[in-house]
Amino acid sequence: MPKPVVAGVGMIPFAKYPQRSLVDLGAEAAFLALKDAGVAPGRVEAGFFANAVGSRLFGDSTIGQNVLWEVGINRIPVINVENACTSGSTAFYLACNAVAAGQAEMALVVGAEKMCVPEFGLINSGESEWDTQLGLVAPASFALRAQRHMLEFGTTVEQMAQVAVKNRAHAAGNPVAMFRDLITVEDVLAAPMIVDPLTRFQCCPIADGAAALVVCSEAVARGLGRAAVRVKAVVLGTGGYESPQDLAHWETDYRVCAQAYEKAGLGPEDLDLVECHDAFTISEILHYEALGLCPPGEGGRFVAQGHASLGGRVPVNPSGGLLSRGHPVGATGVAQVIEIVEQLRGQAGPRQIAGAKVGLAHCMGGDKAGDTKSCTAAILSI
Amino acid sequence: MHIDNQQDTLPLVPEGIAAEAGETGPVLTGGHCPHCRRDFFPRPRHCPQCLQPPEERQLSGDGVIYSYTVVRTRAPFGLPQPYAVGFIDLSQSGLRIFGLLNQSDIGRLAIGKAVCLKLEPLGLDGKGGPCRRPYFSLAEREGDDA
Repeated sequence: MPKPVVAGVGMIPFAKYPQRSLVDLGAEAAFLALKDAGVAPGRVEAGFFANAVGSRLFGDSTIGQNVLWEVGINRIPVINVENACTSGSTAFYLACNAVAAGQAEMALVVGAEKMCVPEFGLINSGESEWDTQLGLVAPASFALRAQRHMLEFGTTVEQMAQVAVKNRAHAAGNPVAMFRDLITVEDVLAAPMIVDPLTRFQCCPIADGAAALVVCSEAVARGLGRAAVRVKAVVLGTGGYESPQDLAHWETDYRVCAQAYEKAGLGPEDLDLVECHDAFTISEILHYEALGLCPPGEGGRFVAQGHASLGGRVPVNPSGGLLSRGHPVGATGVAQVIEIVEQLRGQAGPRQIAGAKVGLAHCMGGDKAGDTKSCTAAILSI
Repeated sequence: MHIDNQQDTLPLVPEGIAAEAGETGPVLTGGHCPHCRRDFFPRPRHCPQCLQPPEERQLSGDGVIYSYTVVRTRAPFGLPQPYAVGFIDLSQSGLRIFGLLNQSDIGRLAIGKAVCLKLEPLGLDGKGGPCRRPYFSLAEREGDDA
C-alpha cells in the first residue's frame, strides 16, 4: 500500500482581506504549495477543497473547482469538503486515504475561508437545530465545559488564561499569525466577558485565510527530491451523542486520539509538538488530557507549569494556535498540518523546536447533543 | 403565576419539544423505545439502537443544574441580554439536556441547584414575532414570593 507523505506546503498570512475573494485566497495558497513541492499542476491527480461558511455567506457552491482551475488543475476528481472546523483536516484525511488506496499518486488539499464580513455572526450548530433556537452558541458549549472542569478538578481562570498568554507568545515568532503582540494573564482576565468564564482573549478570532498541502506517495516524493514528511496516521471520528455526555472528560476526543496513536504505533511520549484545536482556552486544556499529555483533570496545572510552552515538555500550538493565528474555519485544519511539517523540516524560524521528529495535528468541529460532530488527529514524522 | 389566554396560544419554539400538561405544569416532549427501554430527548425519528419508532413520552422537567453559563454577546432570536443556558440532569429520566435558564436567576445559579421547567413568552420566533420557549427556573422553595 502506498504510504502518504506531505511534499509541499503553502499558506497566506491569516488576516482580514476585505478586497480579496475566497477563490483568490485559496488559489494563492494552492500556488505556493505546488511551488514548494516543485510540481506542475498536471501532476495532481485528485483535489480536495475545504470551506465551511462560503455557501452560507456568499451563496457559492463547488468552490474547489474554481480555486483549482486558477492554478491550472482541471479534469481530475475534485471534491468539496465541509465538516465545520475540521473541514481542512477532513480534506487532508481524504487526500491521504486517496494516496494510500492508490487512487491518486498525488493530491492537492486546499482549505480557504473568507468570513470577516459584516453578515457573519457567532458560529452555532445550525440555525434549524433545536438547541441553537434555545440560544446555544459555540462559546457557550465550551464555557459549560469550563465550568465543569473548574468544579471537578479545581482548574482556575488564571490557568485557562495561561493558554491564551502562551499561544500569543508562540505567535510572536510566526509571521503568518494574525495576532502577535504579547498579552498577560491580567490582560486576558480584564478583557470583556463573552460567555462566563471565557473572556474575549479566550475565544479564537475569526479570520480570512488559506492553506494548502501537496500529498503524494513516498515513491513519488523520492522522485521530487524534496524532504517529505511521513503521515503515520490520520483518523477522523464523529460524536457519540448519547445522553448523558461528560463535559469534563470528552469521550470523542479521547477515542479519536487513541485511534491515532494506535494506528501510528506511537504514544504521547513520542510527540515533539502538538497543534490542537484551541478554539477556546478550555478546549486546549481538555485536549491535553485527551491526548494523554497529562493525566485527566491536570490540564490546567499542565499549562500553568509551562509544560505546553516552547521549551517545555511538549510544546502545544507553537504556531500560536487558533487563538493567535486566527481561525478561518476551512483553512485551520490545513494550517495545523503545515505547522507540523515546517517544524519537522526545521523551517519554523524563531519558534523552531530543536530536533523535532514527530508531531500531531488535532482538530474538532461542530456541536451536537453536548458532543463534537467531528474530530481528527494526524501524526506526522520525519 | 397568572398566564393569560393570549400568551397560551403563542407559538412554541422550537416546535414539538415541550408542552403544557395541565395541573402538573409544562413537560418535555421526548421519546421512549419500549423495546430498548430507553428515553430520549428530543424524540428521535428512530431508536438509535433498534431503529423502531419511539413512542412519544412526556418527560418531567425537574432536575438539577449540571453546568451553566451566562452568554453576554449579542443575543440571538430576541433573547434577553445577557441570557443564561445550561445542561440539566433530569431527575426522572436520567437524561442530561441543554436548555435555557431563567434570566432572572442570573447571579443565583450554581451547579447542583434544583430547577423546574417553564414554558413562557421568551424571545422571538423565526418570523420575528413573539413566542414561547421552554426554560429552566430555579425551583422555588416553600414560602418564596414567586
